[in-house]
Amino acid sequence: MNIKRFRGLVAALFAAATVVAPGASVASADTELTFWSWRTEDKAFYESQIKLFEAKNPGISVKFTPYLNTEYNAIVSTALTAGKGPDIIQMRPYGGMANLSDAGNFLPLTTAEVPALKKLSAGILAGAQGYKDKKQYGLPYAVSALGVMYNPDILDQSGIRALPQTWAQMLKAFDKVKKAGFLPIGNAGGNGPALEQLHATVGPTFYGGTSFYNDVVAGKKTFTDKGYVASLKAVADLAKYMPANYQGIDYNTARGLFANEKAAFYIGGNYEMGYFRSLNPSINIGWFPAPKANSGAKRYVGTWADGAYAINAKTTNKAAALKFLNFLGTKEFGQALVDEIAFIPTAPYVKINDPAVKEINRWRTTLGTPFLNVVGFRFENPTSSSILQPGFQKLIVGGITPEQLAKDVQTAVASWYAPQKGKS
Amino acid sequence: MSSALRREQNRTTVSLLVPALAVIIIFTTIPALTTLSYAFFSWDGFQRGGFNGLENFQKLFAYPYSDQLFAALKHNTIAFVVIMTFQTSLGLLFAYAMFRIKRGLRLYRVVVFLPVIFSLVVVGYLWQALLDPFYGPVNQIITAIGLPEFAKPWLGDTATALPTLMFINLWRWVGFPAIVFLAGLNAINTEYIEAARIDGASEGQIFRKIIFPLLAPSLTIITVLTFIGAYEWFDLPFVLGGSNGSPAGATDTLALMFYRLSFGSIDSGANNVGVGSALGVLIFTLVGLGAAFGSKMLRKREVEQ
Repeated sequence: MNIKRFRGLVAALFAAATVVAPGASVASADTELTFWSWRTEDKAFYESQIKLFEAKNPGISVKFTPYLNTEYNAIVSTALTAGKGPDIIQMRPYGGMANLSDAGNFLPLTTAEVPALKKLSAGILAGAQGYKDKKQYGLPYAVSALGVMYNPDILDQSGIRALPQTWAQMLKAFDKVKKAGFLPIGNAGGNGPALEQLHATVGPTFYGGTSFYNDVVAGKKTFTDKGYVASLKAVADLAKYMPANYQGIDYNTARGLFANEKAAFYIGGNYEMGYFRSLNPSINIGWFPAPKANSGAKRYVGTWADGAYAINAKTTNKAAALKFLNFLGTKEFGQALVDEIAFIPTAPYVKINDPAVKEINRWRTTLGTPFLNVVGFRFENPTSSSILQPGFQKLIVGGITPEQLAKDVQTAVASWYAPQKGKS
Repeated sequence: MSSALRREQNRTTVSLLVPALAVIIIFTTIPALTTLSYAFFSWDGFQRGGFNGLENFQKLFAYPYSDQLFAALKHNTIAFVVIMTFQTSLGLLFAYAMFRIKRGLRLYRVVVFLPVIFSLVVVGYLWQALLDPFYGPVNQIITAIGLPEFAKPWLGDTATALPTLMFINLWRWVGFPAIVFLAGLNAINTEYIEAARIDGASEGQIFRKIIFPLLAPSLTIITVLTFIGAYEWFDLPFVLGGSNGSPAGATDTLALMFYRLSFGSIDSGANNVGVGSALGVLIFTLVGLGAAFGSKMLRKREVEQ
């Protein structure tokens, strides 16, 4: 047994401590900007874009360093709190880094300095604002949308001619796929966050989408609401369509099952498409919004700002950093982001060429509803997500009832969220 | 000894101690004391607010943290008991076998100790791949030999996840007690064993009456280190189950909970440094008192050679 204490923690501190502090002064001939991200998979993309920036801005170089997704927050928090950290920071949306912006770690941005901000809608800008002061701390670069991805070839071979519109039709389609010898869905239970995204995709139609979101945020309704419980039950009902031994199948294996054309459907975010195509460039992927709970219900597409680019408040290279941030706000960069990583752009002036992304964005603009946990309840601990992620893992193996899980979420949120205090 | 010489000696002792002491004070004592103070303040993200007495401790013992705390404590305790029982006895067995072996000691020593020097992250991913319920060879072998009902999602089932983790831990760490015991065995004066043998004692008697009692100092070290390790178990659960102790908190430990509370989890958002520090204080007290008390008790039963 390892006796070293909290090796992860030490590693995080070490990583933060060894990172080169921001360079000397703006005036010097070669300013090196440092840029941190959690997108290890996008390293090649960013480096190619940085080359374009450097060509246009001689004297400024940018060093892109991505960290492991799951370690990123701890590394950034540790570095910024110690007064260090990079010049440019890829910023988590909403509550993801709101405590860091509230603590004054990011440079407040004005539309005069970053004109691209003027073109973004209020809902998207909100993803990169402080929780308390509501100042703009980041330039949001992409939005995510949740839906059902499918493999048209497998659907064809299973004899499914029309895309399901209702929950019952979708379960029927799953049965058909199963009969044809394929896995209905690649989604599995090994990863709590993936289950949470699954719920955020299929759940809103059960609890009433945006109107429930508004009510629960205002404290008019609680998580023990009948509709919300039904949305949790929907996740439990999907367990029997998951691959065998689904409890232990991790996120990558689950996604691999869809990418390698073993599973007909994958329920989740549009950002998975880039991963599917990287594993299997020849795969056909279709997309439709999650079906309605019953013929009387409405369909919804869960959506939220995916992240933003921010500047370290303590940077010694403010002018160069702003230059780079503005580069990240250009049409060319936005276009490349869409074309190369299939992100849905925040900026309306970017043209979407990918037909699948185009389709998703069309539905998103008409059926969009906020991702309840991310947009509303990730600002203090215990967050709703911190209860739901392990909770879903219990739910799909029958270890907890939907009613109990709903109650647990309510208790957790009511412990810190003022409009819900004292409610059960 | 002249007083000048003694002064000189003292000066040397002090100058040799200073660097190590400085490192310990800067990197261990000060952080430990600051964490202690953090536990009594309110926190907003990483910004310290006002003094709030025992509120963080109250929160730690209220839902939802209390559920997580007691579940984690239970897992740590199970880990300690199981690791102590199986890993230590297997280590002792290996050590005794290597002690008695005539040829190839070096080879066996390397084989037993090898997993200890592997990077833990590598060990974690290696076992994750081996145990993958879909593609993993472990389940394929189990199915091939006609026992498909035993092909389980080892790391994903709430019932098997913790035992699987303890097994991997054993695989990785068994070499450590083995080497410590081997050193202990080699330190035993062989005259005792020879004398016993001449008196007609059996192998079993020699082991029980002579070797085992004389191994007590090694056992003390192993027990105390296992205790500390088990209650601060972090790396393997983190690599295999993430900071939430997936699946459904079945592999959650006190250290994971501390990490999650203090730094926040990327997937579930905000942190709570105050409650995290309160937990840190709790772990520190538990491990500190446990280790001190344990080593005192164990030392009592050690015998002089």
